[in-house]
Amino acid sequence: MDFEFSPEEKKFKHEVHQFFQSEPELCAGFMEEWHGGEGFGPRTWALLRKLGEKHWLTPTWPRKYGGLELPYIYYYIIQEEMSYWIGLYACIGTAMAGPVILKCGTEEQKDFYLPRIARGEIEFCLGYSEPQAGSDLANLQLRAEDKGDYYLLNGQKTFNTRCHFAQYHWLAARTSSEGPKYRGISLFIVDLKTPGISITPLMTFSGERTNDVFYDDVKVPKSSLVGEPGMGFYYIMEALAYERVTPVGAYQRLFEQLLDYIKESDKGSDPVIRQKIAQLAIELEVCKLFTLNVVSAQSKGIIPVYEANAAKIFITETEQRLANTVVNILGLRGQLQRDSKWNVLNGMFEFIYRQSLTELIMRGTSEILRNVIAQRGLGLKRK
Amino acid sequence: MNLDLSEEQEMLKKTARDFLEQECPRTLVREMEQDEKGYSPELWRKMAELGWMGLVFPEEYSGMGGNFVDLIILLGEMGRALVPGPFIPTVVSSGLPIFHHGTEEQKGNFLPEIASGELIMTLALTEPSTRFNESGTEAKAQHQFTNYSTSGTKLFVPDAHVADWMIFAARTKEGITLFLVPAKSPGISLTMLKTIASDKQFEVTLDDVKVPTANVLGKIGDGWKIITQIEEWSALAWCGYEVGSLQRVLEMTVSYANERIQFEQPIGSFQVIQHKCADMVIDIDGARFLTYQAAWKLSQGLAASMEISMAKAWTSEASRRVCLSGHQIHAGIGLFTDYDMELYFRRAKAMELAFGEGDFHREIIAQQLGL
Repeated sequence: MDFEFSPEEKKFKHEVHQFFQSEPELCAGFMEEWHGGEGFGPRTWALLRKLGEKHWLTPTWPRKYGGLELPYIYYYIIQEEMSYWIGLYACIGTAMAGPVILKCGTEEQKDFYLPRIARGEIEFCLGYSEPQAGSDLANLQLRAEDKGDYYLLNGQKTFNTRCHFAQYHWLAARTSSEGPKYRGISLFIVDLKTPGISITPLMTFSGERTNDVFYDDVKVPKSSLVGEPGMGFYYIMEALAYERVTPVGAYQRLFEQLLDYIKESDKGSDPVIRQKIAQLAIELEVCKLFTLNVVSAQSKGIIPVYEANAAKIFITETEQRLANTVVNILGLRGQLQRDSKWNVLNGMFEFIYRQSLTELIMRGTSEILRNVIAQRGLGLKRK
Repeated sequence: MNLDLSEEQEMLKKTARDFLEQECPRTLVREMEQDEKGYSPELWRKMAELGWMGLVFPEEYSGMGGNFVDLIILLGEMGRALVPGPFIPTVVSSGLPIFHHGTEEQKGNFLPEIASGELIMTLALTEPSTRFNESGTEAKAQHQFTNYSTSGTKLFVPDAHVADWMIFAARTKEGITLFLVPAKSPGISLTMLKTIASDKQFEVTLDDVKVPTANVLGKIGDGWKIITQIEEWSALAWCGYEVGSLQRVLEMTVSYANERIQFEQPIGSFQVIQHKCADMVIDIDGARFLTYQAAWKLSQGLAASMEISMAKAWTSEASRRVCLSGHQIHAGIGLFTDYDMELYFRRAKAMELAFGEGDFHREIIAQQLGL
């Protein structure tokens, strides 16, 4: 049992920490581009390219495709530093699409996509959700008709985040309506510049951009298919298995800033506030330990299904509680936004109070994940 | 970074579990609630033979040379089986302070007999004010030539009636001082308290009990530092015990939910029941990891005050939530004493209150954070 990183891992963490510390402009640039609705703008791409040069976007991948063949924990270390410095901890390409291509893709697909993902030159966006397919993903309807030497795609995706700046759509489409719904799904990589695709923005009430994506008689080559037809649902589950870790760096940083603020103000001696801050500290520690548990399992090649779900639920619910607790400690000034006079900590916690709702829903709602813990983790029976 | 148990630790856990399944069925636990001694000397002897009392003491004192993580693993199995008796008061609240702060003579006198199971000890610390700070100690000890005259009333002294010796905290002119006192000394009177867990906790009154200077534990007047350590170790020990209890509660609850049929299906297939169980998992895993992290730090010789307080605050409150959910899911039958659920519910509250509940430990955390 060991709750610490090894000396080599600590050294690496320090190196990554220093890298981000030395790029304040690019870090700030990412935040502005992301929170401003642009997504990945020029400064973000510059940052990703620098990370790519060090092979830090895909450190566990084979060297042939741009990795360093490092153990999984090194990827986690980088994720935590990214989370701490810029809040973003994964690209879809590096974290979800890439690993599936690596495992199930053709040699051509691997050569075509993987090196560019590793170098930070391309990004993917997930094409799963539809108006009638959220938690019930198997209900998706976007059709992919096999036309012999191409597929014809028609339908609509919604809540597809990153589509407005990503190069490729990681698209789940229905190739068959026979048999169980989830068996008729196939996975495609679609160049988003293909004619017939139109993207319209959807802005959430926390100011984040996601998108509706319309496919109107879109022709994609046969080579866009990933793996076998009808296996899409399995690949989706597989992709999820690679991305089970929820880093906590961002929350730790928020808590540090909160502590500094409390210490500088006169609020630190208030017994009620002391209790609330201490409780937040405990919950953040539990978040950290849940993540370490998942990392520990993944490092050994074990897929920690229920543990990862428990971590995701608890971390995202803690984020909401953190924001609420802080806003209320701040009192009336807690409701003031980023550009308001009299705001506190740049309105950060007001923003998170809204934005945290997305986290509770994305990557599996708390309710669905509790079902999974109960059924797959504990063996409670389904209806 | 590895959160798994070692092979030896897995072995310890399995051995303990199998042994206790045989030797400490819940019927024994219920018997002991009514029993005058409150523990089974037979079971105690067998535990000693397995080396459990000496687990965390070095071989030179007849111990096994284990560390705090090993202890937490063992306590988890004891908590699972709800083993009654003076294990934590003897080994953790008394044995560890003697090991860390005793003279060579004291260590030689006490530790091997604790390890062999021959010596039962307890801690007489809390006073009627039940405040966990230094000013709460009113018991006095007056220096008289070669000994001290100690007097005062202590509450919530576990297993005082079966203890051979106790550690008694009193105020001398220098400050708080710890005394090793034979429990059957003239001038000591005991009154048993009736508690929710039916564990044997006592009011202990000392009236001019003479304690030789050689039986002062640690430095005169410096007792509070040791007490703080005792409180940390004991709080963490109870966390370890409780984590095992809660794991058992979850198992019992899931098992029941899968068996109990209402509306033509197992109640475990209803979403609310499933979600309550999922939340129990989160609570128990949180308790387990916080407890193990703190134990690991202690085993590495690192300070762990913050981590221990985090473990105790969380585990204390998680235990209530888990036991409540357990009761809700068991519904009617859980209210009756032929089911185990209420044993765990009552015991959880005793654990929560021992050595500081959530608010107490959150204040420690606030101080550790620099507020």
